[in-house]
Parts: sequence; structure tokens; C-alpha cells
Amino acid sequence: QMNVRIHTNVSNTTVKHVFDAIESKTAYNFIYDSNNVDVNKAISLNEDLTVKEILNTLETDLGLVFRPINNTITVVNINSQTGNTRASNLFLQTLSKQAQITGTVTDNKGESLPGVSVKVKGALTGSSTDINGQYSLNAPGSSTLVFTYIGFVAQEVAVNNRSSVNVILLEDTQNLEEVVVVGYGTQKKVSVTNSVSQIQGEVLTERPVSNLGQALQGQAPGLTVLDLGGMPGRSTSTIRVRGITTLPDANNPAKNDALVIVDGIEQSLSDINPDDIATVSILKDAASTAIYGSRAANGVILITTKRAKAGKALVTFNSYYALQNTINHPKMDTESYMHLQQVAYQNAGLAIPSMYTDESIKTWMTSNDREQYPLANVWFDELFQTAPQLNSTLSISGGSENFKARMSARYMKQDALISGYGANLGEIRVNTDYVVSKKINVVADLNYRRNDSKAPTLENNVYDRMFHGTLFAVPKYADGSYGLSTQGQSPLVYAELGGVSHRYMENIIGNIKGDWAIIDGLKFTTQLAARIDLFREKSFGNEFTVTDKRYNVTRSILNNSLTETRNNTTEYTINNLLTYDKTFEKHNISALIGNSIISNVTNTLSAYRERFYNNDIQSIGQGANDGTKSNNGGDAEWNLASYFARVNYSLNDKYLFEANGRYDGSSRFTGSNQYSFFPSFSAGWRLSQEELFSNIDVINELKLRGSWGRTGNQAVGLYSYLQALSTSSYAFGSSSVIGYSPTTLSNPDITWETTTQTNIGLDAQLFRNLSITLDYYKKRTDGILINLPIPQTIGLSAPPQNAGVVDNTGLEVALGYRNNSHNIKYSLNGNVAINNNRVISLADTGPYISGDDINPQYIIKEGLPINAHWGYLTDGLFQTIEEINNYPTITTNRKPGDVKFVDLNDDGIINSDDMTMIGSSFPKYTFGFSGNIGYGNFELSAFLQGAAKVDTRLAGALAEMGNNEGFTPALVTKNNYWTPEHPDARFPRPVKRDITNSNTSDRMVIDGSYIRLKNVQLSYTLPQSLIEKLNMTKISVYTSATNLFTISKLNEWGLDPETPSGRATYYPQTSLWTFGLNVQF
Amino acid sequence: CKKDFLNTVPNDRLSGEFFWKTEEDAELAVNAIYPNLDAQSQLFLLDGLTDIAHVNQFFAVSSQVEQNVYDASSSVIASQWSAAYKGIAAANFVLDNINRVPETETNKVALNQYRGEAKALRAYQYIKLAASFGDVPLVTKTISIQEGKQLVNAPINEIWDFIDKELKEAVELLPSTIEKGRISKGAAWALNARANLYAGRYQNAIDAAQKVFDLNLYHLYPRYEKLFSYAAEGNEEIILDRQYLKDVLSNNVFSTMAPYSQATSTNTYVPTKSIADLYPMANGLPITDINSGFDKFNPYIDRDPRMRYSMFVPGDVLPDGKIFNPLPKSGTPDAIGSTFNATSTGYTIKKYINNEDLANPANNGINSILIRYAEVLLTFAEAKIELNQINDQTALNAINQVRQRGDVNLPPLSNTLNREQLREAVRKERTIELAFEGFRMFDIRRWKTAETAIPGSVYGITYLDNGQLKTIEVPSYIKKFDKNRDYLWPIPRNEKILNTNLVQNPNW
Repeated sequence: QMNVRIHTNVSNTTVKHVFDAIESKTAYNFIYDSNNVDVNKAISLNEDLTVKEILNTLETDLGLVFRPINNTITVVNINSQTGNTRASNLFLQTLSKQAQITGTVTDNKGESLPGVSVKVKGALTGSSTDINGQYSLNAPGSSTLVFTYIGFVAQEVAVNNRSSVNVILLEDTQNLEEVVVVGYGTQKKVSVTNSVSQIQGEVLTERPVSNLGQALQGQAPGLTVLDLGGMPGRSTSTIRVRGITTLPDANNPAKNDALVIVDGIEQSLSDINPDDIATVSILKDAASTAIYGSRAANGVILITTKRAKAGKALVTFNSYYALQNTINHPKMDTESYMHLQQVAYQNAGLAIPSMYTDESIKTWMTSNDREQYPLANVWFDELFQTAPQLNSTLSISGGSENFKARMSARYMKQDALISGYGANLGEIRVNTDYVVSKKINVVADLNYRRNDSKAPTLENNVYDRMFHGTLFAVPKYADGSYGLSTQGQSPLVYAELGGVSHRYMENIIGNIKGDWAIIDGLKFTTQLAARIDLFREKSFGNEFTVTDKRYNVTRSILNNSLTETRNNTTEYTINNLLTYDKTFEKHNISALIGNSIISNVTNTLSAYRERFYNNDIQSIGQGANDGTKSNNGGDAEWNLASYFARVNYSLNDKYLFEANGRYDGSSRFTGSNQYSFFPSFSAGWRLSQEELFSNIDVINELKLRGSWGRTGNQAVGLYSYLQALSTSSYAFGSSSVIGYSPTTLSNPDITWETTTQTNIGLDAQLFRNLSITLDYYKKRTDGILINLPIPQTIGLSAPPQNAGVVDNTGLEVALGYRNNSHNIKYSLNGNVAINNNRVISLADTGPYISGDDINPQYIIKEGLPINAHWGYLTDGLFQTIEEINNYPTITTNRKPGDVKFVDLNDDGIINSDDMTMIGSSFPKYTFGFSGNIGYGNFELSAFLQGAAKVDTRLAGALAEMGNNEGFTPALVTKNNYWTPEHPDARFPRPVKRDITNSNTSDRMVIDGSYIRLKNVQLSYTLPQSLIEKLNMTKISVYTSATNLFTISKLNEWGLDPETPSGRATYYPQTSLWTFGLNVQF
Repeated sequence: CKKDFLNTVPNDRLSGEFFWKTEEDAELAVNAIYPNLDAQSQLFLLDGLTDIAHVNQFFAVSSQVEQNVYDASSSVIASQWSAAYKGIAAANFVLDNINRVPETETNKVALNQYRGEAKALRAYQYIKLAASFGDVPLVTKTISIQEGKQLVNAPINEIWDFIDKELKEAVELLPSTIEKGRISKGAAWALNARANLYAGRYQNAIDAAQKVFDLNLYHLYPRYEKLFSYAAEGNEEIILDRQYLKDVLSNNVFSTMAPYSQATSTNTYVPTKSIADLYPMANGLPITDINSGFDKFNPYIDRDPRMRYSMFVPGDVLPDGKIFNPLPKSGTPDAIGSTFNATSTGYTIKKYINNEDLANPANNGINSILIRYAEVLLTFAEAKIELNQINDQTALNAINQVRQRGDVNLPPLSNTLNREQLREAVRKERTIELAFEGFRMFDIRRWKTAETAIPGSVYGITYLDNGQLKTIEVPSYIKKFDKNRDYLWPIPRNEKILNTNLVQNPNW
């Protein structure tokens, strides 16, 4: 009855008349005391309202309180002191027991929510929150309050005689009104016809990370993040959307990188404060990315930053302190290594050096004098230490309806596992919103960031020498002097004495955007932005001399030197958009046209001098002013001028269509190749809107969608079309001269790479709680720019040519489930992606093999995935001489215990013709699972992530079995190599100075699949009662562990599965123990 | 405006369109050919693939070539091929375009000189190609990708004809004396002599060598010991060298070749017992002669002085003043087997190792000698002997000139030697005199002696170990040589893939 509509479109009527009207249309009767309630009071109601709405209005306007009991509604004016009649006595008694209840409603980010409806359960009494998210109402102490708000899960809270009830509403992720950020705009999630994954900002800050790439790992299907460790301030992660789209190019490592757009401006993913992020959208299919045209082939990552809501200032302070540790610890066992050496010398027919005789080994191992008898390799204990990391972000946001601002400041300090490294990062962001008039809104944002990091100048030597050429060295003698190996090497010396390389990176981004609502539905937006990246590096190489007192070997760098580098990039972007959005009955049309101009100028400068007075004089002008000094630099400029449009049409919210197009012009190309067009089309069908489904309760939402589109990749070296001459130097007598000659062939026909992608997808919501997204895609990139090899008889380097073709097909599944029951709320999310990558054509060239026998070999070959591992197959070990005699061998002189390489083509000879694909360097399967459970004030979350069908090729010391006196894992040395007594051993017989057994083969290729408990976190939110006493909104504390454990075949090698193939010469992966604090007031 | 926005003009490179206006442009383009001349490292590499030297690091890619476990895909071979054609392209760039520079009376001589330099520098690369690969494509102008894919192997005789013709033309264009480092008339004649010797066109070789003698500009430098030192740079024996300047245009020969203890770097190539034993005694007798006076307990005493001028042997004084002691148990950083960086034979190369470079081992300015007068003398002698023109004694005199250089001073060869004996003598002389200068590989190929010289183990020093003489043998290292195949390198595999017209050398 409360929903019955009453004809009330009258002005200057009376309360009595309204009551009469309701009584005539419904079964309700009103009871009141006319002394208390002035029923002749005039009111105006100008719409046809429901009974409930009418009563709400009277409640608000006149202070009347209604209490319905069955069909009788008691009316009391709580503002009036007169006329306490018998009829209302009972009611008033209850009313007097009511207390005023106040509180604040916020979302789970701590942002206050204005306009939340607050009702007393079972009563008409209600209120709503004001601009600061605060409410107050009167209700009995035993009542229950119901909080409802669009886009959020409704919540019931028992008052329990409290006077203050603060509530945090959870966003309803399955809400139909949810919007998704797409290229140059937003769309309602239900009407999206493309493949887009959106990640909320708070997910990214749940665990401590040193760059945003790491935070995205495992969060969205189709997004593969290869985390290359936690080097302070310089950590890198490789991010691929739907596989490797194009052939990699060593000169252009960013060629496969997704385009990253932050609030409309192209930016680097590592340059954003995770605490500032509101949403991240991953645009995956061509229909969603085509609007970015020539830069979109590798997918687009759109990031929007947080903005203020109107209301009183909200202060948020997020901080964590973490302890970093290396998660991998390669282990070597001195005694078994020495025995292996003994066997290796014997096998090579060589005299056993005195150090490796039985007697010597015994003396060695029983001695306590590790200066005289050092252990083989102690670097992993010696160099790594626990290191702290601190990260804090303070943000303040708020404002009026006409002016809102949010500022944030962040400071991060990261110490390092190895001395010589470290980073300091500071940044501020100010996002402001102005309402200039009813029709004009302006947004102005500024972001400044500074990242200072340091690393040893001889950094590569540090990692390399932990494994290579440093056995039996004493790190430091008791007298404080450094030790060296017989090869004169020590990672400690490089880390501590080699000098420090400082890197300073500053980014300044300014962005002004204006909206003009011209007429209803038509809006013009213009944006002007500048991004300035300032890169400065000072690499000082110390002069030092270290003499090992045991081996009498000297390592010295006789001249100190300084290299200073400056790279400055300025990029201007202008975007103009005209958007139109209108609904005509069943038809909804939205359209967008726009243009974009980007201009990018980079200037580089570097200088070198050596022989400074001492290692502390580090100004470039103080070095030797002679022929050793040098400088270098250059200018590079590229411009992009683009026009684009989009049309969306939906019929009945059921049939959805979208078309995109972008016409891109790039200065990287010349002539008729300068402009190209990138179209896309997509359609969706919301089956759940069909009658057939409306009766199926289980299915809340079901949508089928499909898309097709074209995108481009303009990542080619500047001026590749131009035949240019290069300089060279030569000397005649004592004078140096320069020369000019062409060194690289030009290719004026060069143009874009084109990626064509088809996508079929499904979005569903079942049982209200379960969401499912499925996508299948097929994308083909052709005209891939590669430096096809050209005959060397031409005498010039190859130019890039539009040749190769690469296919990626894949399947992506994302599942989400959330539920609340009693005091427990929990959610589960999972995603799995499968990607198949194939090189389809190399224009009749290739295969291209990179690497060599002693390093990982990769092949780019038609029919194989990009950069497959390449080498020999093996068939165990030879056990007898007869076996060897009846089998082709790779070199003569094979013995039992040697590796049996497979003669794949059966021609009786084992040579490079027998090599084949022995592994995949990029994961085929990637997945992430997260679970979250909240009970009372506690919340526990866990996140698992991994990859499968990926391989790592070990090289260098790890593959050589002690042959070159390198790090030899205990895995190999401890009774695990072939001897007549151990014919079933895993590793071949060691032979000194013979590397045949370590020829590139499947024996060196280790399955790099892994599953990792990336993070476990327990957080506790302080009880409201306590927080209120402190005048706060929210206080929570948490502790978390990152990279807690990993299941991987590489564990037995002490290596991390995510690190690249080769010699394991990299800054290690770290684990973190974190203690965090989250305060709002 | 829009048009210009997308048509950016680079300021970080020189467009080919604006070039070839002046004489200076021609000079700049000629200058760019010279960096393609061979560095010491290239010369050492070539010897490292023969019997007289050894690739010290058994895992180096070139070690596979030395051991003969490589095929047409070897990167070492491919880079030899591409480096030569790169030099040829730089020369072709000059010869194709130099006519665009307006010729005047004043620049005519200079332009001709540049033409001559380009022709000679191109011929220099073709000599290496022909001697290494046999029938190779003859590229005489700038070519397109399509043209590159259609080239055919030119018969080696055609290559030798071309080289001979080009060098004779160059001689006409070049002056006798020229700026230090540039190709002179004498250099062109000397290259012509070398090419004709390699081609087996002995009379041409004799004639060309005679032209060098007739110029009367070149003489043996009296001190072999100092020939490769800074002090002797540009001396009267040098006909062509690849020039370096410390700090500005430096090489790293010291850090890659000096004994490990001196540079704490590597010994990339090291001499072997084969060359060590080849040096005769100072009295001229081979050490195998029982009358030679060779003392196996003091094997480095009273030998051909060039031995200790060319290589470090145990007991030598090192640049840092210490004594070179590579004996396995010596405990020094140079001890054989102590690391794979230390010499594996006990010898290291001394040519180009100058004490001045100890302080800055990777910044050396020492030039790489490419043609010197001694080679021309030995070329002359060898060609004469091959043609049996031995009666006039000029061949013998040429050899004796080399043997009797001031600080070498070996007894002259007897004038009673017959042709066979003389042939053996000149070959031995050439091997010793030009050791570690990049000749050996081409020589044993033309003499067809590689099949006996190369196969087998690699040996090093002989030393006293607990009272017993022991000879170092490089472990697990057995070199092979297939006489039906290995007298030529294979055409690089990628070249054959890209150009199916190319014919692979026999048995590769």
C-alpha cells in the first residue's frame, strides 16, 4: 500500500486533504491529536507521489512522525510541545525512548558517502547522509538501521543502544550501474561490447610493491607480468597484454609494451603512485584499443587517478614498513665440489691438482681456518642482508560543490639487500576540479615525482661474480683487507670499492581539461598536457687496487672515471573531443569525435672524463682535460597527429553496437605511408534482457559479445626511411680525422605494423554473487618491422622492413564470487589465461638464432613461438663403450657418462642441423587467485599467482659443472653426477676443460612453471567506539608477507622462476614482511 | 603547418643527399674506409686458428674453429665474411660517387689519390676473401638488396685478376710518399705482390716486389725487438699499418694479450710449442740438430733472438718487472691451470706488448702493422724459388737480408742450397719472421701443409717437474683437419640462405 500513487499534483492544499486522499485510495487510517498536529497547515505537492513519498515529505517538511501499525497510522508532531493526547500517548512513550543516533557512512576507501539513505527497519523513520557522509536520526536503541546507496551493497546494522553508528558500505561490483573506463570516456559495464578488464585502485595497494607492474601481476586475465626483481628504484617488470604481439627488437625493447595512458596522457607505468590510482582498465581487444590507433597493437592500460568528493576535508594516511630478504639462496657444497673436481681431472686424463687430492680435501674440510682453507662460495651469505623499506602516502581531499581538491604526498625509502644500492622516492600530486558554471567544468592536475636511486657502478660484475670466477676467495680477511679469487675477482670488491652510480629521475606532468556542455547530451572537452621527464645519471668508477694476500693476485682499476648522462624528454599532448549522448525511447546513441596531437622531443647529452684527483672529487670538470675526455649527445623528435571517432548504439539496452576508427599520422614514416586508418566494430547481445531469461532467477546478467578491429604499432627507429651517413674516426699519424660512410641501408617504404584482432566474449552474473567473464581472441600482426637479414655482401646493416607475421590466440577466464553471511564476508577471485604464440612468416627468411653454444640460444622461426629455446635433444647418458660406438657423437673421445645428444635427422652426424625447439621462453598459461575473508574487524586475504608452460635455460657456471671454476650447485656435486658407481645419476660425468656435455640442450632447460603465494595479509580495523574517541574515521593496521613461498622446479637450483634465462646475473627477487597502518579522519 | 609537423628533419645525422659536393667530401668518405683495416686482434685470431698459436679459452667461439668442430653457421666465419664486405662497401661508396665532385685542375690530383686509395683498400679486402673462401661474389659497386640476393660466386682467378688490375690502376693514381697511414704507391705494389704470391702468379709477384724495391723508400728496421714498439711507429720498414692513437682511437692489445699477471684480463691467443721449436739456435741450426747446442734444460738460451722478441717464455722479465713464471705449480697468477685466463701453453705473445701500456692496459695506441718490407723480401724470394730462379742469388740474398737484420744477426744461408732446401728455408723464415702477424693461415693453405701442421694436440712449454722433463699438453684438445674440405672456409650459412645462387665450397 505504501507504493500506491496518489494524485497530489496540487498547490496550497492542506495536510488534512492529503490524509483524506490517502484514506480514500488505501486501507490506511490516520490517528492524530489535532492540538498536536495542525492538519490545516497548507502544503504544496507538485507531483504524483506514492504514499511513502508523501509521508517522507511531510516528515521532512513539517516534522511529522508516522508510525504505521497494521492499517492505522499514528501521527505525531515531534516539534510541537502541545496536545499530548491519549491517542498518541503510547506512541510518544516509545518515541521518548528513542535516542538521537549519529554517524558517518564511508566507502571502504574511507571516502565519505553523501546521500546514503538511512532507515529504521520496520519504521518510516529515516534520514540520509549529508555532504560529509554524516547523518543523524531518532530511533529506539533496540532498532536496526538499514543503509542503502546506489552502487553499494545494502547493509543492516543493529543499534544496540549506541548513540553513534558508523558504517562502511561495500561497493557492489556486480552493480548494473558500474562504469568502466574506456578510451576517451567511460561506459556502463553492462553495455560494454569489448574486452576490457578493470581493476580497482585499492586492489593495487593491498600489498607492498616497488612498482605498479608488480601490483598488476595476476590481477587480470590476459595480462602477463614478468617481475624481474626488486632492485631499489630501478625494479623492472615486463608487461604483456595477450602475449607477444610482435617480434622483439634489441634496439627497441619497448616494442612489445602496452600503451599506458594516465588521465589521458601517455606515461610510463612505473611513474605512478599506486595510492593515487582510482581504477586501472586493461583494454585488450582491438575494438577497445583501435581508438588509440597506431600505438595500440600491444593493448592499452588506462589509469585514472583519485579525485576529491565534495565535503569536509578527508585525511588519509597510508604507511608501511617492510623488511626485504632474498627469497632464493643458491647453495654450494665445498666438499662435494672438491671431489667433483678430482673426478673431473681424472676423467680428462690430467694429474689431480694438489688442492683436490683426498688428503687435501680432508685437511680443507676439517680445518677451522677459513682464511687458509676458504669455503668454495660464501657470497650469497656474505653479500645479502635484510633491508628495510618504508612507504608513506598522505592525502587530503575535500571541497565544495564548486571547487574540490585532492592532494597527496608520498615518500618511499628502500634500502637494498646488497650494499651500494638504495632508493629514495618522493612525489606529490594535486588534482583539482572546478565548476565554472552550470555548463563548464575544469580539471587541473599536477604531478611531480622524483626517484633517486643508486647502484654500484660495476653492478653487472657484482651479480656475475657471485657465480663466476670467484671460488675459494676470502671475502675479507680478519685484518680488513679484501680477498680475491685466483682469477682476481670478488663481487664484494665491485660492490664496495668500484664506485657508485647515482640516477635521478624527475617527472613533471601538468594537465588541464575543460568540459563544456553545449546542449543536452552534447559536450565538448579539450585537454592540454605536458610531460617532462628529466633523467640524470652520474656513474663514478673508483680507482682502487686490491691484492689478495693468499693468491697474490691484484685487481686494480688504475684510473677513476666519471660518466654523466642527461636525457630530457618533453611531450605535449592536445586532445579535443566532442561527445554526444542521447536516449530516444528504446534507442540510446552515443558518439564521439576527436583529434589528438602529440609532440615528443628528446635531447640527450653525456660526458666522460677520467683521472680525478681522488675518488671523492666527482665533478666532471675536475677530470683530465685531455684526449681521454669525450662527450656525446643528440636530438630526436617525433610527432603524431590523429583523428578518431566512435559510435555506440543500443536498442532496449539489449542489442549493443559500437564502431571505432582512428586516422593516425606519424613523423616516423614518409610519403604516402605517413597516415593510416585503424577501424573496429563490436556488438553485444544481453540475453538476460530477453523474456526467455527473465524468469530464470539464477541468471542475473548474461551477455554475448564479439569484436573485430585493426590496430598499429609505430615502434620503429626514427628516420629509418632516410639514407644517412654515419661518422667514424681514424688516425693518420698523430692526428685524428673523421670519415663519413653509410652503415645502414635505408628503407623509404617503411610503414606501420598492423594487428588484426577478433574477440568473442561472454559476461555473466549468476546467483547474484558469481560473475564470469570469458574471452577468446585471435590476433594476427603482419607487416612486422624487422631487420630482415640482408646479404652481407651489401656491406651495410639491414634496415627494418615490413615483413614478419605473428599470431596470438588465447582464452581468458575470470571468475568472481562474494558473499556476506552473518558477520563473515568473503570473496574469491580467479583468473586464468592461455596464450598461444606462433611466428607465421618471416618473409622466407630465417630462422634467426641468437645466442651461442655457451649461452641461451633462442630461435625465431616460422611455426614456432617467438624466441623459443633452441638446442639439442638428449637421450640420457652413455653407459657403455659399445653404446658410444653404435651412436653418433658430437665430438670424438666420448666416454660412458657423457651426454647422448639425439641425431634428430638421423644422418649419422650430430651438428646444428639436429637442433630443435627445446622450450618456450614466454609462459603459455598465467593465472592468479585471490581470496578474502572478513570477520568482525579482522580481514585476511591471500593471493596466489603463477605461470605454466615456460622454460628457463641455465648458462654459465650453473651449466658447466665446475669446469671453469664457477659456482656449482650442491644439486650437481652431491652424488648427482655420473660415475661408474652412480650410473643413474642425473648429471653427466665431469670432464675438466671439456664443454661438450654443456652444449645447448634440453638438459639445460628447466621447466619454469611456478605457483607462488604472492601475498598473505591480515588486517585489523579498530572498533568504531574507540576510533570515535580519537576523533577519527578509520584506523586499521595490517601485516603481510610477500613472496611467501614458490613451488617451482628452479627451487632446487636456488633460482627464481621469473628471472630471465642465462647466467643468473641479476638483482634477486625479494620477500617482504610488512607492517602497515591506514588512518582516516 | 600540418605537413611540417609530421615531416621532422633530423639534426643528428647527415643525409646522403647533401654529400659529394666538394673534394673534402671525397676525403671524408675515403677516411671512412680505413677503419676496416685489420686490427691486431684479427691478425692474432688468424694465427690462433693455425699450428703456431692457440685460442686460449677453450669455450671461446673461435676455439671451435681452431678445433675444427664448426660448420657454415659459425659466427666467427660469418664475421670474417661480413667485415671484408663492409670494407668493400665503404670503398664502393667512394668509387661510385667520387665522379659527382666537380673536377678542377686544383683538386684533380687529390681526387685521383682518393680513387687510388679506395681501389687499394678494396683490393686489400678481396685478398683476404679469396684466400679464405675461394670463389666469392665480386661486388664492385653499391648494390641493392635484390642485387645482393642474385650475386654468384666469381671464380677465384677472376678475383685475383681483378685485384691485380685494381692495384695496378691504384699505383698509377697514388703518390710515392703520402700522409702517414694512407695507402701509398709502395703499399699498392706490396699488396699486388702479396696477392700474386697467394694466387701462385709468381712472376707477377716478383715484378711487383721489385717495384717496391725500386722505390727505394723502404728498408729493414735494424731492431726486430723494437719493431712493434711505440718508438718504432712509422719506421722505414712499415709500408702500411692500421693506425691507432692512445686515448682517442685506442685498441686493447695489451689487456687481451699480455700475460694474465700484467693485465688481470685474458690471454686470448697464446703461442704453441710448434712455433717455439721452430726458432733455430743463434748459430742457425735447428734445435733438432745434435750439433746445435740446444739444451733442453735451458731451452731459451742461444736461440734465434726473434724468439724472445716475439713471445714471452718462462724467465722473461714482464712489463711490471717481475719474472714470467707460468709453471703449473709456480703459484703466480700466470701458472698454467690456475685459471682459464692464464696461458694454457706457458707462452704468450710479446709483439705489440709495450711496457708503456701497463698503466692503462686497455687504452693502447700501438699501430697494427699490415705490410712491412720483410714480407716483400720474403715474397720476392719465395716466388723466385717457386719459379726456380735461384741462380741469380737474389732470392737467397732477400732471405739473408731478413736473417741478418741488426739485432737478429743469424748466419746467412749457404749459397749451395738447392731449390727444395731453399723452399723449406724461405717457408721457415717466413713463419718465424712474420709469426703472429696473420700470415700463417694463408701460407699453410697455399703450401698445402695445413693437413700435416694442424692435426693433433696442442703443446706448450717443457719444464722440470720433480727432476723430470714434462711438456704441457692442452687438455682434451685435439685438432682435426680434413684436406678435402678445410683448405677453404665455408660460405656462411646465412649468406647461402639469403642468396641461393651461391655455391658452397666442397664438402661443407
